[in-house]
Amino acid sequence: MALNKKLNRRNFLKAGAVAGSAAALAACAPPPAAAPGAPAAPDASAPTVAAAAPAAPAASTSTRPLAPTFYQWIYDLHPHIPELNKTLPNVKAEIAPTEGFGIERFVAEAKNKESTWDVYVGMTPFVEMTQLISTGAIVPWDDYIPKDVLDDIIPSIREECSVNGKLYSWPFFLDITGSAWHSGITKAAGITKAPSTWDDVLTGAKAIIDSKAAPYGNVYDPQGWRSLAPMTHSMSTQVYTSEGRFDFNHDAAIEALILMKKLKDLGPANLLEAGSTDGGVNGTPDEVAFAAEKAGFYFKYFNSPYRMAANWKDPNLLQIGAYPKFAGGEGSTVFWTTGACLFTYGQNKEAAAEYMKTLTYDKKIWQDSIAGTAAAHPVQLPVYTSIYKEWAASKPEWLPEAVNTISGQMPIAKAITNHLFGLKQFQLARPFYEKYLLGQETSEKTVMQQCMDAVTAELKKAA
Amino acid sequence: MAAISTRATRQSRLSASLQHWGNWVFLIPSAIFFLSYMIYPILRTLWLSFTDYRYLRQGPANFVGLQNFQYALSDPLVLIGLQRALQFTLVFLPGMIFLPLILAVMVDRVTVRGLATFYRVILLIPAVIPGPMIFVMWRLLYNYEIGPINYILVDVLGIFSKANAPQWVGNPSLVIPAVAVFEWWWGLGYHTMFFLAGLAAIPKDLYEAARIDGANEWQVFWRITIPRLRPIMAILVVLRFGTAMAVIDEYLLFGGFNRGLPTYTWTVYMYDLAFQIGDWLQGYAAAIGWLGAIGMLIITATLLYIFRNRDNN
Repeated sequence: MALNKKLNRRNFLKAGAVAGSAAALAACAPPPAAAPGAPAAPDASAPTVAAAAPAAPAASTSTRPLAPTFYQWIYDLHPHIPELNKTLPNVKAEIAPTEGFGIERFVAEAKNKESTWDVYVGMTPFVEMTQLISTGAIVPWDDYIPKDVLDDIIPSIREECSVNGKLYSWPFFLDITGSAWHSGITKAAGITKAPSTWDDVLTGAKAIIDSKAAPYGNVYDPQGWRSLAPMTHSMSTQVYTSEGRFDFNHDAAIEALILMKKLKDLGPANLLEAGSTDGGVNGTPDEVAFAAEKAGFYFKYFNSPYRMAANWKDPNLLQIGAYPKFAGGEGSTVFWTTGACLFTYGQNKEAAAEYMKTLTYDKKIWQDSIAGTAAAHPVQLPVYTSIYKEWAASKPEWLPEAVNTISGQMPIAKAITNHLFGLKQFQLARPFYEKYLLGQETSEKTVMQQCMDAVTAELKKAA
Repeated sequence: MAAISTRATRQSRLSASLQHWGNWVFLIPSAIFFLSYMIYPILRTLWLSFTDYRYLRQGPANFVGLQNFQYALSDPLVLIGLQRALQFTLVFLPGMIFLPLILAVMVDRVTVRGLATFYRVILLIPAVIPGPMIFVMWRLLYNYEIGPINYILVDVLGIFSKANAPQWVGNPSLVIPAVAVFEWWWGLGYHTMFFLAGLAAIPKDLYEAARIDGANEWQVFWRITIPRLRPIMAILVVLRFGTAMAVIDEYLLFGGFNRGLPTYTWTVYMYDLAFQIGDWLQGYAAAIGWLGAIGMLIITATLLYIFRNRDNN
């Protein structure tokens, strides 16, 4: 009957009035009650990171399934995770709106004291953890993570994921910056042993070009946290100011810059070009050159050479090794983990911890990550000692020796210190140190002072 | 009698008034949309620009008057950013007007109906391809290592070697023309359609009369076609000036957040401040947005004046 009713102006106005009244009533209604177990609002005047974090609820009685959300690349590189999610009861997993490390959705929801999701898998401590803590969007895991799991985390990683003694990131995937090379190219260039020092690398890279084994001796990702920081750690890890900033003026950082210039001159001309995805951060020229079998050596976190070598005619030609050392240097490198954070206004906190434990110790995830699948071969490693002990006690047949090479870097590797400008400081500094890399400025000390000044200026602006 | 007449007149006015208000009811949906999606964000940003609002801080925003504007006017990144956006606009705008114009004149002369339709369909293809696909395609075309453009220049034509091949994305002097060419390609068909519509509206007897009077093709083009297409050109110049000055996606795609590149314009800086740097200085970013918008409004008004209708009638 309603469908046959003629829609004239009178009827439309009547319907409009009813709809309008309903909307007005709805607007006047009180906001929905906070989810059971939701914590109190963060203290608005709280100035410090630790103080800003609201107290976590003691327990939560949820009315919805567990809602984890993942950074897209995790689903792409670890296809077993979405498969596993489908099999777990009462889990509704989604892809997170976090392209380019964007956390605005999470912060916006936290401001409204709500959260669509319970846990976000994709947080890197030095990149966005400080921001998420300072806004009160996340709470520590300490009240929810089982003690045996907490104690199982490799100590240096537990430190990376903690602020004021509280664990804010449940570490999941480990990335360490190291060396990789195309053994077909190095062999053709007459290089018979793995490079252990940067001098070996420079000599080898020149030999590759001179022998025409490949157009480029080496490639690296010029973004500061992927090259300047690890190369600096190779000399010294004591390069952070008391506030946690990277000290561009440090002698080790200057040595690293000089090295970057020497390496760049043995690499592709477009090495400094912006990447094609994630705001220029990913899909970088080093990846393209290494994937196209045009470079001998490659220095980046290990998952990159593995992913790129998958495009080669023979991916077995990939070799990996420890990050090279400076003569007299510490011989360290950079690691970071990608982990999960627990939303303050999410629900199912205990279930989230159980869920993360399931992912953490899922054998298929690690087998796929290390041995590779048809979809990807990320070689991101676990960060739990018991897993390594188990592998040592009974080595799985799929476990390559290379894992020992990668995990062997852990005792000496150091994370970039967590700071509000943890990643951004390198982006702010880049135009200045690039001038040296491009030969537009000959004084390395001048450009590094400019880097320091640029970051200081932004810090002042943000003060 | 007079009283009755007055009452009747009042009733008639009331009825007319009610009818008038009834008309307004039909505008409510679009008014709600306009107010909530256009006016409110604009006013909200205006309010933000007078505050020290930082998104990641939990305290309330404080009113700081014109401080953000004063700071922005002396901020070299704002001024360089505006200058860079203007440079891109000056490269982009002429091509975005004249290439479609020339193409439209050529397509308009195709007399075979099927062929004319075919050309129009071909021209519209870029306009219907989703943006992300266009971005991926052009980044691949410009790729230094594996891009088809450099393959042709280096491997096929031998104009360049591997060592000095053009870095379309990485070279600061090439990246702006590279973005402009990509934008021209993307908008070519769409803008050509504007001109084709304008050409269709020009009476054919004007051309015939001009030719009878001895005008050659060049004179016909300059004396008839161009003046008659001026209103369309005006619309396109104004529209495209605004979009060119406010480009951001393409800059992020070609240069990321590298402040040393010409792609780091005022729009990227604004986004960087609002969503990336420190605790996200959105009050300051809003002030930069308003300064840019005011500057663009002034230039747009000037353009509208330049392209005003000069017909006496």
